[in-house]
Amino acid sequence: MPFLFALGQRLLQLIPVLIGISVVSFLLVQLSPGDPIRLLLGDRATAEAVAQLREQYGFDRPLIVQYFSYVSNVLQGDLGRSIRYQLPVESLILDFLPPTLFLIGYVVAISVPTTVVLAIVSARCRDRWPDHLIRAAAILGMTIPVFWLALMMSRLFGVELGWFPVSGYGDGFVGHLHHLFLPAISTSTWLIPLLLRNLRAALINESESDYVTASRSKGLGEGYIFRRHVLVNSVLPTLNLLGVMIAFLIGSSVVVEIIYAVPGLGTLMVSAVLGRDYYVIQGLTLFYAIATVIVTLTIDILSAMIDPRVKL
Amino acid sequence: MHWHGNAAAGIAMALSLLAALPAASAEAPIRIGSPYATSTLDPMRSAAAGNIETFGQLYSRLLRRGADGALEPGLAVSWDISADGTVVTLKLRDANFSDGSPISAADVAFSLLRVRDDAESAYAAPLQQLKEARAEGDKTVVLTLKHPFAPFLGNLEVFNAGIVSKADVEKRGKDAFTKDPVTSGPYMVGEWRPNDRLILKPNPNYWRVGYPKNAGAELIEVPDANTRVSMMLSGELDAARDIPWSRVSEIQAREGLTLPLEPSTVIYMTLLNEMKPPFDDIKVRQAAAHALDAPAIAKAMTLGHAKRATTTLPAVDYHAADYPGIDYDPAKAKALLAESNYKGEELVILASSSGDNDKLSVLIQAQWTAVGIKSKIEKVDRGVWWERIPAGDYHASASWWYNETLDPDLAVRWALCGSCGSKSFYTGYNNKHVDEMTEAAARELDKAKRAELYREIQATTTTEVSQIPLFYAPYANAYSDRIKGLGMNPMLQWSLEETTVAGE
Repeated sequence: MPFLFALGQRLLQLIPVLIGISVVSFLLVQLSPGDPIRLLLGDRATAEAVAQLREQYGFDRPLIVQYFSYVSNVLQGDLGRSIRYQLPVESLILDFLPPTLFLIGYVVAISVPTTVVLAIVSARCRDRWPDHLIRAAAILGMTIPVFWLALMMSRLFGVELGWFPVSGYGDGFVGHLHHLFLPAISTSTWLIPLLLRNLRAALINESESDYVTASRSKGLGEGYIFRRHVLVNSVLPTLNLLGVMIAFLIGSSVVVEIIYAVPGLGTLMVSAVLGRDYYVIQGLTLFYAIATVIVTLTIDILSAMIDPRVKL
Repeated sequence: MHWHGNAAAGIAMALSLLAALPAASAEAPIRIGSPYATSTLDPMRSAAAGNIETFGQLYSRLLRRGADGALEPGLAVSWDISADGTVVTLKLRDANFSDGSPISAADVAFSLLRVRDDAESAYAAPLQQLKEARAEGDKTVVLTLKHPFAPFLGNLEVFNAGIVSKADVEKRGKDAFTKDPVTSGPYMVGEWRPNDRLILKPNPNYWRVGYPKNAGAELIEVPDANTRVSMMLSGELDAARDIPWSRVSEIQAREGLTLPLEPSTVIYMTLLNEMKPPFDDIKVRQAAAHALDAPAIAKAMTLGHAKRATTTLPAVDYHAADYPGIDYDPAKAKALLAESNYKGEELVILASSSGDNDKLSVLIQAQWTAVGIKSKIEKVDRGVWWERIPAGDYHASASWWYNETLDPDLAVRWALCGSCGSKSFYTGYNNKHVDEMTEAAARELDKAKRAELYREIQATTTTEVSQIPLFYAPYANAYSDRIKGLGMNPMLQWSLEETTVAGE
């Protein structure tokens, strides 16, 4: 019961967060210069056609009126219609969500096992050549700009060698794996070093702690101590970091999505911003906010399950 | 460390499996990548580039352009113009919409009038001279004009004059164009995934029997230019719009790809805001024009793939191709500046963040600095650009435009006529004589006299520097050898229905 209570409390906290985000995103979008109607109608559209459509969308009303009509629609589950496409925002988001989710899942599936293996090797071989090698590679991975790496990989593995497609999402599970391979590797290249350094430091820190010394003095084997004590205790900080990174990835997959022409949320967001598609931008921002809260909540629940000392 | 080896082997196997997946098959649709989005399927609702391309595939017009650019019968088999030039009577062919219903004269009148009258019509200009559209029986349309109007037949071929189904639009309203619209052109909508792609499938009821000559096409939005190039090189696209100039020769050299540099009506020019100082002074405008080495700019921007522009009009009919243009003469520019009202104020060059517009802006800034025109570049995105330019919130801006038909009338009204609504592309250039000539040329049915009028319009506006002409850019579209017969005409229309896919 305390668990459910805590969960309910966390969900309640969502409400002020969402209100704040809706106000900020609404104001930012509406106050930024640029007219969606002009972009929609095209260069040669007459001033009359632009004014007419602005009126029809209600953009000529006071901001406060527009905000409350937006919020009352959202509360009824209506995120509005895309100005450009005349389609409901929620259906657009749902159409573009699968590639982004798949990509994030793919990145996690590549990054987490690789991180754990490399961090263990690095920590167990501390200050010997495998450790140096892994750490140097990690620094390299972190410093290479994602967009540059993505471009180069698309040229080498896509264009020159022809191993992987340079664009799109593909059909079916294997098709998705095939098409999103390069985007997933490009993203993992900076994610793995981040997690790796964190986990390695935690592992080394734990293996120097008193209870490990005590275990050693009891005559327990190094491997046993590492698996049963050090590893489990070191996972938590990295898990939390992973949660933050996943939440970050949902919003920042945009770079690889653009370079690899993946029809995901990032591409939708960029074109919505450039086209000033107000309701799509606001809908996506709300979606990002909710997704971030859900991810961090999940990580907190996982942490509580792994370590009973952690409270929700 | 035994399992490490296994894992590595497993990963290697998975990779080889993934890499072995086949690419596109022979029956696959023709894939065209473009930065220009399809944002609506209603021909009336937008005049933006991507939509113009799409409308041509979905909706037939009364007339069409042949491969040589000449007007040919479209949905109308024949037409007759009254002696005074104000009544056009068109006979329709027996043709059906994609849903099998006949295309009637009532559909034609409805389609044209909604473009002219509907409050949401984005671009009513081509049909402004239409006074009345009347169906006479099922197959005859009588169009009455306000006055004789030479460009009229050509305007019936413009992208938004596509014929839509009156019954369907009246029944479904806006939804008629969001889900499976009833079409009259070579294709119908297989699936529309806004912001991603439009999947076209052949319209079985298309009036040109035997067309389209392919199983369909996908118009894919690929905003990033380098990604389009990669997709062409890796065979993931059969055609791509707007290859960056720096990569044209790479594509041309690649086996299996062609890049023919097709003629367009695109003109690059510099807008000068004539509604405020200093460009309200003709001497400052002329100085700014003489300061620019247009041939060098054309070469630097397009690596020699574009011709310098010599008049304020792009390569449309009646283009005064032999007109010498404004010569590069920095000494003259300095002399003109000395006589002018310009006292060295810092001017704002508005640069749009699309393409390599910032590069063009820097070139202009440098050449102006050399003669003593000080400026700073403000880089903004298209949304802000289109807010500030119509509002007159700029001094100068390098940009480009195209004309959607070969007749110069709409081009002149857009870019050079001060009283035609767009204030000479929002520069505020306003010469009454030019406006009068615009009207006279439109009403003039004698071709030689029209040519003379348009020549004078070009000479006057170029001398008075309504804008600074820079260069005429061809289309840099890339094509794969897998397809045959695909091209784009100067009106932004693909010859998609003629395109065949080579068997593999």
